[in-house]
Amino acid sequence: MHNSVKSIGSASLAVKLTAVSKRYSDVTAIDNLNLEVGKGEIIGLLGPNGSGKSTLIKMILGLVKPDSGTISVLDIPLKQNAIGVKKRVGYVPEDSTAYEFLTGLEFLDFAGDVFQMGLDEKKKRIEEFLKALSLEGREGDMISSYSEGMKKKILIISALMHKPELLLLDEPLNTLDPKSARIVKDLLHQLALQNVTTIISTHVLEIAQAVCNRIAIMYEGKLLALGTMDELRQQAKMPNSALEDIFLKLTGTEDIQPIVEALSK
Amino acid sequence: MNWKTVLLLVSVNRKANRAIRGAKFRRYRDNKLFTYGLYALACLIGILAGGLIGNFYSASNQTVQTAVLQGTTYFLVSIPTIVLLYGLVFTQISQTQRIGAKVSVQPIYWFPISWREHTLASIIANLLGAPLLITIFISSALLVACVFMGLIALAVLTIVALLASLILASATTEIFKTLDVRLSGAITKAAGKSAIWLRLIFSVGSMLVFYLIYFSIYNQISPALLFESVAGGQRAVWFIPYVWPGMALSAFASSLWMETIFFSLATLAFAGAVFLIATHINTRFGLYELPAIKLSSGVYTPKTSLFGKLGFSPTETALMKKDFKGLTRRHELTFIFIFPISMLAMVFLSVLRMAQGDLPPVGISYFLFAIITLFPGIWIAPFVGGMLTGLEGSSVWYLFSSPISAKSIAKSKFFFVAFFSLSVTLICSIIGGIVFRPSVLFVAVTLLEAVFLIFSLSAISVALGIKAADFRGFFPFSRVIKPKWGLLNFLLCAVIGLAIVAPIIPYVLSVFAVSFLPAMPLLPEYYVYAGLFLSGIIAVAVTHVFRGVAVSNAEQVIAEAESI
Repeated sequence: MHNSVKSIGSASLAVKLTAVSKRYSDVTAIDNLNLEVGKGEIIGLLGPNGSGKSTLIKMILGLVKPDSGTISVLDIPLKQNAIGVKKRVGYVPEDSTAYEFLTGLEFLDFAGDVFQMGLDEKKKRIEEFLKALSLEGREGDMISSYSEGMKKKILIISALMHKPELLLLDEPLNTLDPKSARIVKDLLHQLALQNVTTIISTHVLEIAQAVCNRIAIMYEGKLLALGTMDELRQQAKMPNSALEDIFLKLTGTEDIQPIVEALSK
Repeated sequence: MNWKTVLLLVSVNRKANRAIRGAKFRRYRDNKLFTYGLYALACLIGILAGGLIGNFYSASNQTVQTAVLQGTTYFLVSIPTIVLLYGLVFTQISQTQRIGAKVSVQPIYWFPISWREHTLASIIANLLGAPLLITIFISSALLVACVFMGLIALAVLTIVALLASLILASATTEIFKTLDVRLSGAITKAAGKSAIWLRLIFSVGSMLVFYLIYFSIYNQISPALLFESVAGGQRAVWFIPYVWPGMALSAFASSLWMETIFFSLATLAFAGAVFLIATHINTRFGLYELPAIKLSSGVYTPKTSLFGKLGFSPTETALMKKDFKGLTRRHELTFIFIFPISMLAMVFLSVLRMAQGDLPPVGISYFLFAIITLFPGIWIAPFVGGMLTGLEGSSVWYLFSSPISAKSIAKSKFFFVAFFSLSVTLICSIIGGIVFRPSVLFVAVTLLEAVFLIFSLSAISVALGIKAADFRGFFPFSRVIKPKWGLLNFLLCAVIGLAIVAPIIPYVLSVFAVSFLPAMPLLPEYYVYAGLFLSGIIAVAVTHVFRGVAVSNAEQVIAEAESI
């Protein structure tokens, strides 16, 4: 657990959301949300299904436009230069949908060209990542034949290979094998030391606890709590508790015993 | 066999058609009237058609009645074999559609469902839609008509034979479907990196054979003789079990009762055997997984592609390379290559039939050269242009989340469509030039017009294709471009295409007129240059305007990424 919280001045902010809201017809996806993420921070987004985590990540990338509020990414107002922001961001979506008719290598080559990488740099980075994530030998196979985990690895490589300054990862580790998951987690720590910011959405509380400097708990589009583990314990008034108990209490779902009993009958 | 399970599985299969139709997935409601009303409508139209034929028969004189009776008997005796043939075609198309829409109903092997139940449900479900609609129409029509003609017993037996033929067709498709997966998997495994090209060449080749057979039959057999030929032909191949339903009818019509009973029982036994084989093959290979297609191995060497050398940016080059790979590797897109090939086949077969080996007259030769040069390219441009953006499918998130500008998207799509159509045009024109030997001037004029058309139509279709892209998958075409916009695309391309060629038409008509009537005066040659100049002006204007529209539409699509 990395407890060191950086002091965030406006110059060192990677992401700043001010009073951001988003509604989908009668559903409020994001409700008047304020968030500041410093450069080099790893922020974990936790929350039940439909709490707004994926929408928040898509908003930071500029894929979803807020109904109100402002978003600034890497000191660039998102409204003004979405392409400029995307050049400096790496994104891994929740669904592992890549062009199935390409091979893994062809997809990475495509991604390298889209991010306008030089030929030598592209080759070096692709080979390094393929080796690190144990995809060597399968890189020439069509993506349609890959397992979910292999597809996810290809997407992670495509998000990392152009050396982004901000990483937006939506459930990145859920289908990876333990070794690859460990490599990605360690890599995120290394990148954080190089001032790369990561916002990671996950349902796996252990991952959030192990990887993130700060954890944000979302519920019904609102940010219920944000801070280090110690700060979350204080907010929940649950000293010495595990993240799972804090999460359940804050999201109002701690009373699960009657449900388990009813289902087991 | 649990019949309730079979019915439930048929219902699941039927519902898979929602995805093929491209129905809305959220808050979907089954349209019962549409689902069942069509069958009732087919029956009603059949009854009306039968009534008309019956009335015509009753009102006719003895000679006409005898001819109609004989024709009807040929029809009844041959129709089971024809139903078998179209049953095979329609059930195969249905399978292809499902594979394209990724809604093939896989056996849920962890549920308490037996392979027999799964196979039977699949066989029945394959028949829903066009095969059943046509058969209901034919059955109701012939039953009513045969009441007037006094052939009720033969009509009833024919309907039973039609159902048997349909089931035989569907069960055979079921066998082929499973074997096809197994066989193509084995070929893929053996072929390694050649698998993609093998698959493309095999698909194009088999369609070419199909078209050659189709056009040969179309050119040599008149529809009136078809029923008589089938009726006579099936007696010659009586040992093939698929014609046994027709043989039973033929024997019944000739009052050969022992033969009737024999072929009826043989049909039942054969249908049972086909079902058992289908079940066995499904049990053996139904859960087979295709092996991976390996396209490359060894050292990775990134390089600047041809497009890059032509001055396109790395992003645009990457997009065009990806789209080209998509067209050659996506199994369901093979039909794009079929059109130019079938066009060539159709023209050459017609020429062979008309001229019996010799070249047709100069006017016709030039006309055929123009068709071969112009049509494949100007068909491909609106078609591919219209669907190229929608073909991104669910992977479109990558375009939205990457630093790709609207201009790059529009530019890469436009040039890809234009280059692809031009390549097809060039190949077709070379073949046409070798066969029809037109003058150099005619070749130059036709090729220039082709270039004008291709660039303008590519711009129009890419602009509309981006505007109306549907990213939910591939099949049918409504799933890559919204149907109304798809229609508008073709209408606009047709109108503007005509406007572009209009200035050259007077000269072309005068060339054709002179070749048939040498006394006619040929328009002065400057007409052709003036016409080409005007065509060029219109084409450049259209291309310029619609490229702007394409960029603006791409900006809009990127801005609406959240709704995808």
